[in-house]
Amino acid sequence: MDLTADLLLNALVSGLLLGGFYAAVTVGISMSFGILDIVNIAHPGFIIVGSYVAYILNARFGLDPVLIGVVALPFFYVLGAATYQTYHVSFERRGQEALRSLAFFFGLLFITEVVLILVFGVDYRYVSAPYIDKSYTFGLIQLPMRMVVPCVMSLLMLVLLQLFLTRTFLGRAIMAVAQDQQALRLMAADPIKIKRIAFAISIATCSLAGAFLIIIQPVEPSIGREYIGRVFAICVLGGLGSLPGTLIGAMLLGIVESFTATLYGPSWAPAISFGLLLLTLAVRPAGLMGR
Amino acid sequence: MRAPAFFAAAIGTAILIFIVGCLIGNDYLFFAGYTVVQFVVLASAWNILGGYCGYVNFGTAAFFALGAYTSVFFHKTFPLPIPVLLAIAALVSGLVGLGTGYLTLRLRGAFFSIATLALAVVLQTFVVNWDYVGGSRGAYVIRPNSVGVFGFELDYVRYLCLIMLLLAAVAVAIARTIERSKLGYGFATIRDDELAAEASGVPTLKLKLIATTLSGALMGMAGAPFPYYIGYVEPASTFGLPYAVNSIAMPLIGGTTIWFGPLIGSILLGVLTQLATVTISSAVNLLLVGALLVGFVIVAPNGLVGLVQQFLRIASPGRPDVRSTGLVAVAGFGFIVGLFDVVFNLAALLASDVSGEAIATAGLVLAALWLVSSYGLMTIRRGSPLLATVAFGLSILLAVVHIWIDRSLGNVALWGVGVAVAIGAIWFLQRRHVQELYQPRLGQPEVAA
Repeated sequence: MDLTADLLLNALVSGLLLGGFYAAVTVGISMSFGILDIVNIAHPGFIIVGSYVAYILNARFGLDPVLIGVVALPFFYVLGAATYQTYHVSFERRGQEALRSLAFFFGLLFITEVVLILVFGVDYRYVSAPYIDKSYTFGLIQLPMRMVVPCVMSLLMLVLLQLFLTRTFLGRAIMAVAQDQQALRLMAADPIKIKRIAFAISIATCSLAGAFLIIIQPVEPSIGREYIGRVFAICVLGGLGSLPGTLIGAMLLGIVESFTATLYGPSWAPAISFGLLLLTLAVRPAGLMGR
Repeated sequence: MRAPAFFAAAIGTAILIFIVGCLIGNDYLFFAGYTVVQFVVLASAWNILGGYCGYVNFGTAAFFALGAYTSVFFHKTFPLPIPVLLAIAALVSGLVGLGTGYLTLRLRGAFFSIATLALAVVLQTFVVNWDYVGGSRGAYVIRPNSVGVFGFELDYVRYLCLIMLLLAAVAVAIARTIERSKLGYGFATIRDDELAAEASGVPTLKLKLIATTLSGALMGMAGAPFPYYIGYVEPASTFGLPYAVNSIAMPLIGGTTIWFGPLIGSILLGVLTQLATVTISSAVNLLLVGALLVGFVIVAPNGLVGLVQQFLRIASPGRPDVRSTGLVAVAGFGFIVGLFDVVFNLAALLASDVSGEAIATAGLVLAALWLVSSYGLMTIRRGSPLLATVAFGLSILLAVVHIWIDRSLGNVALWGVGVAVAIGAIWFLQRRHVQELYQPRLGQPEVAA
């Protein structure tokens, strides 16, 4: 294979597009793990559930996947709130967070995967929408719409969330919980309630991220496992709890993966995120934009 | 018992179990038994790091597969006897454990766990891209029919079973020795408060690395005979999530702070999953393990051993007396029978016609009643003796129905024993000193779960 300029340029562009989508996948983890310090390993499981919701409604009613993602937001919000409540009552309040809550979320991830396999089997599922097969070419660069739409929507979601966290009262309260829970209590605010809202929002993002995922690629239940390494690598690389950091980390991983896929073949891509994660942990554990 | 004596006893027990198995002589027993014993090794190994130090390893499958693929590699280049392969697998997995630990264990918190999760994905990627060991197509390993051990000609599966039994004995003995040594106390300080431990001069990083290496090496050893046992290995199943989930669920269900916790958990869950795989399906069996894991970490965070220990502290401070031993026996019987009833009745429910369905549903309800009442007995909740009495009473009813349906000798004997135990349990639960334990008393608040 000879390296031509347009090959590299296209790898860069598709890496950036992929990175935008990765940002949407990771933003939930950035909130739960980065801000709230809840190691929600089950996050990719919720994303796959989001993908299957999009698949079902798309196959049944022919709705647009992104629209389904938006419509399903409240349901995922409630799901997230319920999950946090269980977590809080069973682990946080008893002060046994570390070992058992990890096992809890791991069990949750496993259960969602097995239930999806039992209900839908291990076949790959996909959605149909008018823009998925389209592709535009600008000079040397090709822009497949199935990558552009999720990327643009992801960036929109990220900007909205960042505005929410920095500009609104509730968003600032969430950031305050991350800094000092005790102080918040002294201000007569209920940290548990705020954490529940924040965690619910983090799960709600799975609804959209899942819809984006199934637009980009066909989905089967165990695909979530590949994303565990990715989301935590991005989250750590970008710096815990920083949404701009998440975006930069996601773009970086997207570009590195895209170049690896172009130069060495896509079967090596899953190893990249782990290498990046280990490298970050060894060299700069605080991440690029770390606090 | 001192460590060398315990070691000898463990090896002796393993050989005894093997001889009894040979006397029974059922090939399926060995085939299923191998899997159960393999999980004894994996659970004990996981517990050295997870239970003693409090660091969760999600990468059991990675270490296990590392051992398995070491075997495959040597099978292709230079076939070696299994015990040598065990040693090499231990070395390779131990080194990978050490490396991963060195990079991630310097940070406190969940980074190690996340790294182990990713480790499985990465090693799988390497194996998929490594054609020599079969790549994603997998590799066939033809095992010999039999092997000579000390002049005996042994069937190869039995030989693997013997090796795994000995390995399990070693793993359990190592876990117990660690627990009672200076090393074990060091691990416990890390688990309880790492910052305080470090401040008091405990070399936490060194201890954590020892635990990771040891645990990884044992997991690798458990994986080394696997290709010979199964005959065909491919990355997706060898690196599969079930290994990770099982090896986490077993210690957490049994109890993580003591060596026999993982042993109890792995035997119980191992036998249960083998039965569920045969009677229902392997997907449902995985769901069962996941549900049990989540259920236990929420309801009984210290596992079965923790539940019993907590009960004994309240019911009989000092030495266990007749009342507390009896109650533990009743609750233990109720729990085990309830658990297995769930599997059997679920299988019956999925398989049978309408008339069988009614009995299976009744059986499921009874199983749930059993589980709830034995939990209530152990956590000393009011009304649980009554609930347990009702459960045992209903079980007599169900037993009569079962005897009515199938009047073969074996079935009558089985349910007859059930009825006898139930009557004994009901009589015991009505004793005044048993009832007294469950009455609310002044100055003694009810136990919180």
